[in-house]
Amino acid sequence: MQRTIVIGLDGTPYSLLRRFVDQGIMPNAAQLVRGGTLLQMDTSIPDISSVAWTSFMTGAGPGRHGIYGFLDLVQGSYKIFFPNSKHIKADKLWDAAGRAGRRSVVINVPSTYPAQPLDGILVAGFVAVDLNKATYPQELVPKLREMDYRIDVDARKIQQSHDALMEDILKTLERRIEVLLHLFDKELWDLFVGVITETDRLQHFFMDAAPEPGHRYHSAFVEFYRRIDGFLGAIAERVRGETLIIMSDHGFTPIVKQVYLNRWLADNGYLKLKDNPKSIEDIQAGSVAFALDPGRIYINVRGKYPMGTIDRTDARRIADEIKRGLAEISDGGVPVIKAIYERDDLYSGPCIDAAPDLCLQSVYGYDLKGAVHKQQLMDREVFTGMHTQDDSTFYINRPAESLVVARPNIVDIAPTVLSSMGISVPQSMDGHSLLVV
Amino acid sequence: MSRKGFTIWFTGLSGAGKTTLARIIESRLKGLGLRVEVLDGDIVRTNLSKGLGFSKEDRDTNIRRIGFVCNLLSRNDVVAIAAAISPYREIRDELRQQIGVFVEVYAHCPIDVLAERDVKGLYKKALAGEIKHFTGVDDPYEEPYSPEVVVNTDVELPEESAGKILARLEELGLITRVATESYNEDDEEEVRRRLESLGYV
Repeated sequence: MQRTIVIGLDGTPYSLLRRFVDQGIMPNAAQLVRGGTLLQMDTSIPDISSVAWTSFMTGAGPGRHGIYGFLDLVQGSYKIFFPNSKHIKADKLWDAAGRAGRRSVVINVPSTYPAQPLDGILVAGFVAVDLNKATYPQELVPKLREMDYRIDVDARKIQQSHDALMEDILKTLERRIEVLLHLFDKELWDLFVGVITETDRLQHFFMDAAPEPGHRYHSAFVEFYRRIDGFLGAIAERVRGETLIIMSDHGFTPIVKQVYLNRWLADNGYLKLKDNPKSIEDIQAGSVAFALDPGRIYINVRGKYPMGTIDRTDARRIADEIKRGLAEISDGGVPVIKAIYERDDLYSGPCIDAAPDLCLQSVYGYDLKGAVHKQQLMDREVFTGMHTQDDSTFYINRPAESLVVARPNIVDIAPTVLSSMGISVPQSMDGHSLLVV
Repeated sequence: MSRKGFTIWFTGLSGAGKTTLARIIESRLKGLGLRVEVLDGDIVRTNLSKGLGFSKEDRDTNIRRIGFVCNLLSRNDVVAIAAAISPYREIRDELRQQIGVFVEVYAHCPIDVLAERDVKGLYKKALAGEIKHFTGVDDPYEEPYSPEVVVNTDVELPEESAGKILARLEELGLITRVATESYNEDDEEEVRRRLESLGYV
């Protein structure tokens, strides 16, 4: 029976991987590419990890799995909550594998915390807090501790220095790779899913170093990817006829500016907030719309929200008006918004009621944010990288002729994995297997 | 809530993997923070049951002694794991009654596979008549009618069989393999801080 390996590189852009392969920086990846197919992939909208990884693991869009962001509102309120694994409404890839009697080892996939039982083992990724709650079964915990496994990079190190953060990124990567290979070798599995998060962390803070050879951290950035290549080589040499997929949940590009949508809504009379607001919970009566990170806009509909002012019948007209206004945001004449989608353009399924009314995509360089305390529409913070929706990575160790499309979507991965394992794809998946039958 | 003490009783022919599995289960259960003791038939015969032979009577005495210790351990919150051929159904069932929480694991492996493997070199001798009263050769082995777990050690890897046993223990509510404390406000606060550090809040 065919086994399958999925290696996730959180946030690794297709374009960057392709460049490093071509430049000889990643010889193992180059070798893999020669024996398979490397494609640019679209990810979820919004293109953030919680939504994208949930789409990966369920093979479905947010309308079905119910995760629209790292934070969301408790139904019928403005109260913020952080969705976790228990809020995912659709079956996961490894649930389908388990039903077929196949065992999965799932390590560090974001949005799987707290760990839920499965046929196999799971160590949850971002935003896991406690290793006990992140691990199923529990008997694995002592070994993980013994190996000094790190759930995540401590991004707060940036407050000390860039060097301190870089050191933590490298150390966490080293621990991660050691544990991934250990479990790969020691555990029994039919499906192995292992994710590296450090790629994303590096790029949030050092993305500007990637294109500039003169940048202080350019060589560190390149060296980091050499280590990723070493890991890919270690996996490649362990492949014994398995299907190997390497993927990322989104791409990355350097930030020009961060753009605060709630500031725009407030400046244009659509949103009223208390003084010194901390979150959208500080919304005031008379608000027409509000935004949540990254580019989600909600119309403050009466009956749906406690201080809703807009009649359901009017919501469409208001959304159109806001859409026209947002489309005109520019930075010194450069347009900032690339596309504005309406709810039904993007989502369908049982979780659609929680969907934003509008979802914005920015042009490369302008990172859309939901912060409420900003006094200006745009600024720069410590972050130098932002996510991209259309530059994720998809690699499979099969020739291009064996694939049905040249441009996959992240929801296609779960069906592809299942069909590569000879397991029928559940109805709940929106995606389609990429493999020619 | 998981029960702390119970007995896992491995039964099966010599060489079927009882000791190997008992040791894997021991280490996994210790990983869950449980106190575990293994009573291995081969070792018990060098002390607790020293001098006993392989007549039915002696075999029964040996198994009753192991069962007695398992019972003592189980009621003192220790997981007792017995790995002994224990060929007679009646005695195993007697111990089941006595101990209460008794998980019988049948390590099943066809005799021809065992004779072929012959890890300890015993089957060759028994088949040649050099060892008498050898279970499965010239002494009976009575398979359990309804063991809690059957592992087929001729086709399963030890880790696979161990996985089946642990899954069954979980099903029986004897062990909890998911963290017992649930997601709480402290977690929530830490999640907020982590998301903040990446600019998501």
